Amino acid sequence: MKRRERMVKDLEQDIRDHIETETQDNIARGMSPEDAHYAAMRKFGNVTRYTEETREVWSFVWLEQLLQDARYAIRTLTHSPGFAAIVIITLALGIGANTAIFSFIDGILLRSLPVKDPQQLVVFSWSAHARPKLTGHSGYGDCLNLNRDCSFSIPFFKTLRTHTDTFSGMAAFAGPLDYDFSGGGPARMAQGQYVSGDFFSTLGVNTIMGRPLGMPDDSPSAPPAIVLSYAYWQRAFGGERSVVGRMVRLNNISSVIVGVAEPRFTNLTPGNPVDFFMPFSVADRIRSEHWGHGDRISDPSVWWSVIVGRLKPGVSLAQAQAAATTMFVNETTHGATPLLNEADAPAVKLLPAAQGLDGETSEIAPMFYLLMFAVGLILLIACANVAGLMLARSATRQREMAVRLALGAGRARIMRQLLTESVLLSLVGGTLGVFLSLWGIKAITALFSSGYEAFPFVIAPDWRVLLFTVGVTFAAGILFGLAPALRGARIDLTPGLKETASSLPGGAAHSGRWFRLGSALVVAQVALSIVVLIGAGLLVRTLRNLHNLNPGFDTRSILLFGVNPAAAEYTDQKTAQLYTDLQQRFASLPGVISASYSADALLSGNHSSDNVHLDGAPPKSNVSTEWLAVGPDFFSTMRIPLLAGRTFTPADFASAAATNATVTAAADASAKVAGSAGPLNVNPSEAQAAPAPVIINEAFARQFFPNQDPVGKHMGNPQEDEPAVGPQPGYLIVGIAGNTKYNSLRSAIEPTTYLPQVSNSAHFELRTAADPTALIPVVREVVSRVDNNLPLFNVRTQTEQIEQMLFLDRLMSEISSAFALLALVLACIGLYGLLSYEVARRTRELGIRMALGAQRRDLLRLVVGKGILLVLIGAAIGIAAAIGLTRFMSTILYGVHADDPLTFAGVVILLTLVALAACYIPARRAMRVDPIVALRYE
Amino acid sequence: MFTKEQRERIELLQGTLDLLILRTLLRGPVHGHAIAKAIEFNSDEVLQVEQGSLYPALHRLIKRGWISAEEGTSENNRRAKFYKLTAAGRRRLTVETSKWDKMAGAIARILRPAEQEGE
Repeated sequence: MKRRERMVKDLEQDIRDHIETETQDNIARGMSPEDAHYAAMRKFGNVTRYTEETREVWSFVWLEQLLQDARYAIRTLTHSPGFAAIVIITLALGIGANTAIFSFIDGILLRSLPVKDPQQLVVFSWSAHARPKLTGHSGYGDCLNLNRDCSFSIPFFKTLRTHTDTFSGMAAFAGPLDYDFSGGGPARMAQGQYVSGDFFSTLGVNTIMGRPLGMPDDSPSAPPAIVLSYAYWQRAFGGERSVVGRMVRLNNISSVIVGVAEPRFTNLTPGNPVDFFMPFSVADRIRSEHWGHGDRISDPSVWWSVIVGRLKPGVSLAQAQAAATTMFVNETTHGATPLLNEADAPAVKLLPAAQGLDGETSEIAPMFYLLMFAVGLILLIACANVAGLMLARSATRQREMAVRLALGAGRARIMRQLLTESVLLSLVGGTLGVFLSLWGIKAITALFSSGYEAFPFVIAPDWRVLLFTVGVTFAAGILFGLAPALRGARIDLTPGLKETASSLPGGAAHSGRWFRLGSALVVAQVALSIVVLIGAGLLVRTLRNLHNLNPGFDTRSILLFGVNPAAAEYTDQKTAQLYTDLQQRFASLPGVISASYSADALLSGNHSSDNVHLDGAPPKSNVSTEWLAVGPDFFSTMRIPLLAGRTFTPADFASAAATNATVTAAADASAKVAGSAGPLNVNPSEAQAAPAPVIINEAFARQFFPNQDPVGKHMGNPQEDEPAVGPQPGYLIVGIAGNTKYNSLRSAIEPTTYLPQVSNSAHFELRTAADPTALIPVVREVVSRVDNNLPLFNVRTQTEQIEQMLFLDRLMSEISSAFALLALVLACIGLYGLLSYEVARRTRELGIRMALGAQRRDLLRLVVGKGILLVLIGAAIGIAAAIGLTRFMSTILYGVHADDPLTFAGVVILLTLVALAACYIPARRAMRVDPIVALRYE
Repeated sequence: MFTKEQRERIELLQGTLDLLILRTLLRGPVHGHAIAKAIEFNSDEVLQVEQGSLYPALHRLIKRGWISAEEGTSENNRRAKFYKLTAAGRRRLTVETSKWDKMAGAIARILRPAEQEGE
C-alpha cells in the first residue's frame, strides 16, 4: 500500500515534469510559450485518463468497487429502515433456525468421539455360526446399528492386551449400570461404568481435577476408586471443588473419588450418559443384581465388556483383525470348556469406533434429519419472501437505475451493487440469526432435558456450524438478490427516466412481469408451507394416537417406584419376605386401592425375554417370549383382565420360591464342579422341583396354542445343543391374561409370560384413589420404617412414565408445529405484501372501475379472488410435493397414513382461512379507494 | 498495420509498447520523456505514441518487476524519474524479442510469398 501511494503521488509530479520538458523542447524548436505548452499537452494526451489508468495498475480495483458498493448499500438501506428491518428479521428467523438444528446434528452425529485421535480407535465385534455357550451376556446398546455383537469376556480382553505388536493401546468398558450412590447428598441411583485400568490413558481423556484411573486401580487389592463425570459432578455435587478425596458408598462398598473427568467426555458411546467410572476390579466386590452365575472378572464364558483398541502405526486393519481372530478362535475353542466349535467359524471383525459405538444417535438421528429438512424449507420460504420484498423495492428504484445506466455504469456493475445490497442484508440477518440460534439451542436442550435426566450431548457452536451459517447466509443473499438484481439491470432507459405515473413504478408491461414473478414467489411460499404444515400435522396426529391408545391396562392413578435390595445386602429369601411385607403395608395405606410389584414396570423401557420349549415341539426348537416376574395382585392392581384360568395364589409364590432355590443351588453346585473331568454328581432325588406356575397373555395363547385350551398345559425349559444341567422343572400354565403393552407403545403386543417374582429388584405399583403423588411421602416413610437403608428410586406415576416414553414424539410434534407456524406466518406475510403492492399499483385502475360503475364488492372480489387463486395453486403444488415426500416419514408415524387425506384437507383449509385474513387488509384498502382521488393519482 | 501518414496516432497494443520500452532501456537508465522521444526517433517518426500512454505502461512494468525507478537529474538539470531494466527485465526482453521476430517473420512470409520463392 505504501509503495502504491508513493507511486501515485510521484506520478502527478512526473507527468508535470514530462510536459514541462516537452514544452521546453518545443520552445527550443521555435514555438511561443503558449503554443509550446499547448502542443505538449496535446502530444501527451488525456492527463486525467492516464493518471487514472496508472492508478488502476496499482489498485485492487474490485476491492475498491466492493467497498464503494457496500457504502452505497448502507446508505440506501438506512433510508428505508422498515424494509431493512423486515428483511433482516425474516432472514434471522430462517438462518437462526437452520443454525440451531445444524448445531444439534453436528453435536450429535457429526462430531467425532471426544477422545484423542478418534479415527485410530477400533471396536471389536465377533460373529459365529452358532451361539456360544455363555453363562452370561450383556450389551448396553453398542454396535446395535450394525447388528453385531460387541460383548467380550474380561479374560479375552487381558489376552488381547498382551499382544502389543498389533495394538498400541487397549481399553475395555462395560455399562452404564445402576448403583446406589450415597455420600453426595441423599441416597440416589447413579449410573456407573466399569473401565479397565488403561481406559483413560488409551483414550487420552484427562481430568480437570484429581487424577484419572490407572492400572494400579484395576487390581483386586487396590482400594476402590472412582472418577466422576463432569456433568454428574455439577449435578450431584454442585461443582464443589472438595469432592476429590471424598468417600462415597456404592451399594455395599466404600470408595474414594479420585478425580473429575473433563467436560467434553461424557462417555465413549455417544448418548449413554455415565455418572462415574470405576475399575473392573470392583466388580467382584460390589454386590449388585444377580444376573448370572459366573464370576464376571475371571469367567471366560461371561461376555459383558466392550473392547476398543488403537492400532499400532504400520499395522493394517486386516492384519490386526487376523491376529485378533486367531486369539479369539483359540480362546473360544481351546479353553477349559469350549464355548464354540471350530466349525462355527468364530471370527473377530474390527470396526472404526465412531461407526460401531453408535449409542443413542441412531434413535435421534432420523428425527433431526427431518427437522433439518423442515428448516431448510423454511429458509427457502424466507428467501422467497425477501425476494418478493426486494422485487417490489426494485420496482420503485427504476428511475435511479435508469440514471445510473445513462451515466455509463455497466449492467454488470449495477448487478454487483444490487447483489452487494442483498448480501449485506443477509450478513446482518445471519449475525442476528446466530444469536437467535443460541437461544434456540438452549430452548431445545431444555425441552430434551425434560425427557432425559441430563441431556447426554454437549451442543455448542463450533467452526463447522459457523462455516455452515456463513455458507447459508451467502447462499441466501445471492439467492434472493439474484432476481431483483437481474430485473434492476435490465430496464429500458427511456421509460425509466420519464417521470409520469405510468412509468412509476415502471409501466404496465414491466410491473406485469414483476407481478408474475411476485406471484410465482408467493405460490412457491405457499407450496413450501403446505409441505411443512402437512409434516407437522402428521406428527401431531401421531402423538395424539399414541396418547389415546389403550395399552391393555388402566394407566390412571398408579404410583410407580423401585427398590433395590441388592444395595442393602439382601439374600433371595430376605428379598421375598421384604416384598411381601412392603406390599401388605402399602395395600393397607388409606388412599391406596391395591398394591403390587413386578421386576420391571410396564412401559418403563426395560424388559426381559427368554426362551421356552413347548411340549411336543421338535427337540432343541425354542420359542421366544417376553418375560415378566410379578407379585401378588398384579393383575388386579393394573386392571389387566383375566381371560381364563386363575391368577397367582400365595401357594404359587411359595412353590416358585422353592423351585428357584433348588435350581439356583443346583446351578451353583455344578458351576463349582465345572471343568473337572469326572461325571457330574447331581443327586437325582434332590433335583426334583415343581414346574413354576405361569400366566400367559392372549397373544401367546393365540400364537402357540391355537384351537387349544392352554390352561393346565406344561412348557419346558429351553433346550440347547448341550444336554441341560440340573433340574428342568419347566412351567405350568395356570391362566391367560389380556394383552398389554410391555416393552414399547408402538410395536405390536408380543407373546408374554408372567411368573411369580421371587428375587431381584422390584418396581412397586400402587393403585391410588386420588392423586398418586400425594402419597409419595407416606410411601417413603413406610419403606424407611421397614429398612432405613433401602433407597427408593425412579418415583413417578404411570402417566408420567408413559409421557416419558412418548417424549421424543412429543418433542417432534412440538418443534415441527413451531416450524409450521413460522412457515405459515412467512407465507402470509408474502401474500399480504404482494396484494398490498398490487392494490397500490392499480389504484388508478380501481378508481376508473369504480367511476365506471363497479361496486366495492366487485373490487373486493378482485383482490381476494387473486389471493385465493394464488393460494390454491400453491396448495395444489404443495400437496403434490407432500405426497411424494411424506413417505420418508412413515417410520415415525403411528396410526396415521403418510397420505392421510384428513390431514391434507385440514391443512389446506387452515391455510386458506389464514390467507383470507392476509387478503383482508389489502382488500379493504381496495374497497376504500375514492375514485376522484384515484383518478388524480400521479 | 503501420502506415506512414503524418499526424495519425497509432494505437499500439499494450504488450508491444511494453516491449519497446524494455528495449529502449537496454543501454541504460532513461527518464520518461526521453523514452517517448527515443521511441519516436528510433522508429523514424513512424510510431507517434501518445506520450501519456507511457505512464501506465511504465507502472505495469514496475509492478511486474521488469524495470525499477529512481530519482535523478535530467540533462537540463531538472528533477526526473529514471527507469532502468532489472535482470528479470533483461531476460524478458530477450524472450519477447525472439517471439516478436518469429511472428513478424511468419507474417512477412505470408504477405510476400513471391519474394521468398525468388530467393
